[in-house]
Amino acid sequence: MDIQALRLQIERIDTLPTVPSVLKKLLKVIENPKVSLNEIGSFITSDPVLTSRVLKLVNSPVYGFPGRISSVSQALILLGMNVVRGLLLGVSVFEVMQKSMIGLWEHSIGTAITARIIAQQKGIPEPEEVSVAALLHDIGKVVLSLKFPDEYAGVIADAEKKGTFIFEAEKNHFSVNHAEAGGWIAQKWNFPRSLVEVIEYHHKPSLSKTMVVQSSIVHLADILVRAKGFGYAGDNFVPALNPAALQILNISEAELSGIVLEMDSALSHADDFLMQDD
Amino acid sequence: MKSIVAVSRDVAFTSMLERLFGEKHKVIIFSSLNLALDYIYNSIPDILLVDFVQANPSAATVVSDLKSDSIFGQVSVIGVFGQDQEMPHNTVLPIDDYLRCPPDERELEARIELCIGRSDRVVETNPLTRLPGNITILKQIQHRLETSVIFAMAWIDIDYFKPFNDKYGFARGDEVLKMLGRLVLNTVRQKQPQGSFVGHIGGDDFVFIVNHEIMEEVAQDIIDNFRSIIPTFYDSEDRARGCIESVDREGTHRTFPIMGLSIGMTHNSQRQFKHYGEMAETASEMKKFAKMCGGGCFKTDKRVV
Ligand SMILES: [Fe+2]
Ligand SMILES: [Fe+2]
Repeated sequence: MDIQALRLQIERIDTLPTVPSVLKKLLKVIENPKVSLNEIGSFITSDPVLTSRVLKLVNSPVYGFPGRISSVSQALILLGMNVVRGLLLGVSVFEVMQKSMIGLWEHSIGTAITARIIAQQKGIPEPEEVSVAALLHDIGKVVLSLKFPDEYAGVIADAEKKGTFIFEAEKNHFSVNHAEAGGWIAQKWNFPRSLVEVIEYHHKPSLSKTMVVQSSIVHLADILVRAKGFGYAGDNFVPALNPAALQILNISEAELSGIVLEMDSALSHADDFLMQDD
Repeated sequence: MKSIVAVSRDVAFTSMLERLFGEKHKVIIFSSLNLALDYIYNSIPDILLVDFVQANPSAATVVSDLKSDSIFGQVSVIGVFGQDQEMPHNTVLPIDDYLRCPPDERELEARIELCIGRSDRVVETNPLTRLPGNITILKQIQHRLETSVIFAMAWIDIDYFKPFNDKYGFARGDEVLKMLGRLVLNTVRQKQPQGSFVGHIGGDDFVFIVNHEIMEEVAQDIIDNFRSIIPTFYDSEDRARGCIESVDREGTHRTFPIMGLSIGMTHNSQRQFKHYGEMAETASEMKKFAKMCGGGCFKTDKRVV
């Protein structure tokens, strides 16, 4: 399939399904009449699909300010409780559950938490924006495996057999990787430019035009979370850290070990979000 | 309670109206449309019933003029015709519903209630924010004053909106207005789901109505929410710098801070307002007062009259 045709197919996706454990909790949250916007907000920001759903709606031309909102809490203020409830009621789950999906969800949450820690450490003005971008960075994997489930399973098997990384096997098969595919869908859904760019460049942050620092943070977070063994991003070994990213962020060894220490405690709290049944 | 103006010389018909609706709504009877006009212009009834059985020939023109006016076009007009009378085409006589005379009681009741329901749903709205506009704002406030409801009226205005518009253009300015409309509506509804109201006066002026006990809390929430969201409407360099360069009213270049909100509020718990104008003016005065603190704050009318 040529790239244009692939892009058109991907852009036709309207909504993404989430994983079953999230849906179970979701129903509890929205059926509670006393739930606050803050509670709904923190629930949404722990799921890449729910987050992308909310951002897609608030950035749609219907509301009149496309491409402006990159934070979930701001989106909730502008959409209002009734709209958000209605939006969440329509969420579906993956029909055929790939075992790797749960792992990807954990990987995404872990990356979001870690990216926020790095952003705060480096004094980035909008840490929430970086953490949203980190939560969504691998959305292209969700998109590809939803649209081409069999082919994507083949890609994973192929990577395993040849000992290459997923993003290389994706490129071999689709001629794009999940970062580019994720960038397409983010653009199609009118996400702010800043989010699109971080999603697109999280594997080669130094090429980002305007979001080089944020892309480097998400890249570093991605690698650190894998190194910790938190969640599962599809690869059995950890890809190398892009050396340019460390330079861009100008992180010392001491800073890095501080970040890793903070990760430990933050991730141990997040650990049971997806696993725990209630 | 709605106001129903009926124009008819048919005593059987008008007394039926008074009997059916006189208790629930305000029914005012006129013998001719021209006599009714002064009342209609001053009070904007919810429903206008016009009997065309023996009406004079100009009645259709009067109704048509009324419906074409942006302010009175929202009055629901029900035409009343004889059993065999031909009904003029909608382009000649633009009405919202019709009845055949003499009407069946149950049908008359159903038609009027449906008309009221419809006009409650279709309010005049600002095309940008789709929030109710001036007439609805006026009605909402007037109604509360007439029924002695204790409430607060707040007037919102954006600080430094004009230089923003000058620098980034109207399209971006409109984005901000649409965002503010959503923000105010949701913040107000979240704090007070029942009995509150949000309207768009025009430009960067908005109005909301809430219980006076929570008005300052709501105003502070609106100001805070706006402050957290507005930076994304600026280009990243301006956002980083925290200000924009633009031209002021005298044509000189200067820098303007990031936009904020000024809110002026008044309420009738300690003073009486006779009509909308008096209250709106006080709220607007308080808003000007709020502006003087440099933006991003609210001021409440504390006078006891
Ligand atoms: Fe990735
Ligand atoms: Fe990743």
